[in-house]
Amino acid sequence: MIRLVPAALLVAMLGGCAASIPEPALRLPESTLDVRSIQTRSLAAPSEIDILTATIAVLQDMEFNVERIEKPLGVITASKITDADSRSEKTGLFFLDLLCAVGGGGGCDALSTAQDDQHITLTMVVLPSLAHSGEYTARITIQRVIYDKMDRIKVLERIDDAETYQQIFDNLQKSLFIQVGAK
Amino acid sequence: MNHLLKPLPFVCLLLLAGCATTPANVAGAGTQLEMRQIQTREYDTLDRAMTMRSVIATLQDLGFTIDQADAELGTVTATRLHAHTMRMTVTVVKKDGQRIAVRANARIGENSVTDAATYQDFFVALDKAMFLTLHKVD
Repeated sequence: MIRLVPAALLVAMLGGCAASIPEPALRLPESTLDVRSIQTRSLAAPSEIDILTATIAVLQDMEFNVERIEKPLGVITASKITDADSRSEKTGLFFLDLLCAVGGGGGCDALSTAQDDQHITLTMVVLPSLAHSGEYTARITIQRVIYDKMDRIKVLERIDDAETYQQIFDNLQKSLFIQVGAK
Repeated sequence: MNHLLKPLPFVCLLLLAGCATTPANVAGAGTQLEMRQIQTREYDTLDRAMTMRSVIATLQDLGFTIDQADAELGTVTATRLHAHTMRMTVTVVKKDGQRIAVRANARIGENSVTDAATYQDFFVALDKAMFLTLHKVD
């Protein structure tokens, strides 16, 4: 038993040196198909240029900066930095401070707990549909990092919210309509 | 008991020294050939564009956003922001004029992923995407 103590310590310390890789880091999750369907739409467009132009216009509408475009692969990468808190959240925190001050309480600083900003990265892949000629498949993936007031990372996440994607695709549909109509 | 524990501080120091990394670890630590084998899979196709399409779809399925893609050089770089920030570079090259070789390498934070099972999982996902692309499923 006594001999086991140093041995166990050695094993524990060697374990500490190893890079900690989360077990299923690159294993497809079961929700893959659901997420894929949320992120993907088929769109009819006269040409690839039309759909790419309409896509870039939508990204500009949403105040994204287009960082890279690789046309042969249909990949568009864009990003933006925005306020992480909604206006209503900030108003709520402001009134909380106000009530606290009126009540004579000290340390009324709820507003300072508001998150500072979020960095959003978006990839849109627009390619001719494999299944239907004359149609294009658009797939969007979005991630964000939220930083607090001290520039510390608070949240790292992929956006899986179906409503967000639906809104972008609705905008893309409108943009495509305008793009084709303007020709 | 005491005579067994006496050398322990020295052993601990030795092990801690083993953990220390040189400041400029540029060349990496892995054995080149072994890592290449773990990170590479060959496909019986000559369609590089379709393979790249499958690679991008796989990365998106795995929750990555594409940082950069180059059709001419056959390179895709992607990032996944999760509990751990994971970055991947995948290259698609023709081999012997008969096959396509796909090589993936991944890093989690500051560490290289050297675990064969993780790359195996990636290629299982890529196999599925290749199958769907081959059967013209979007």
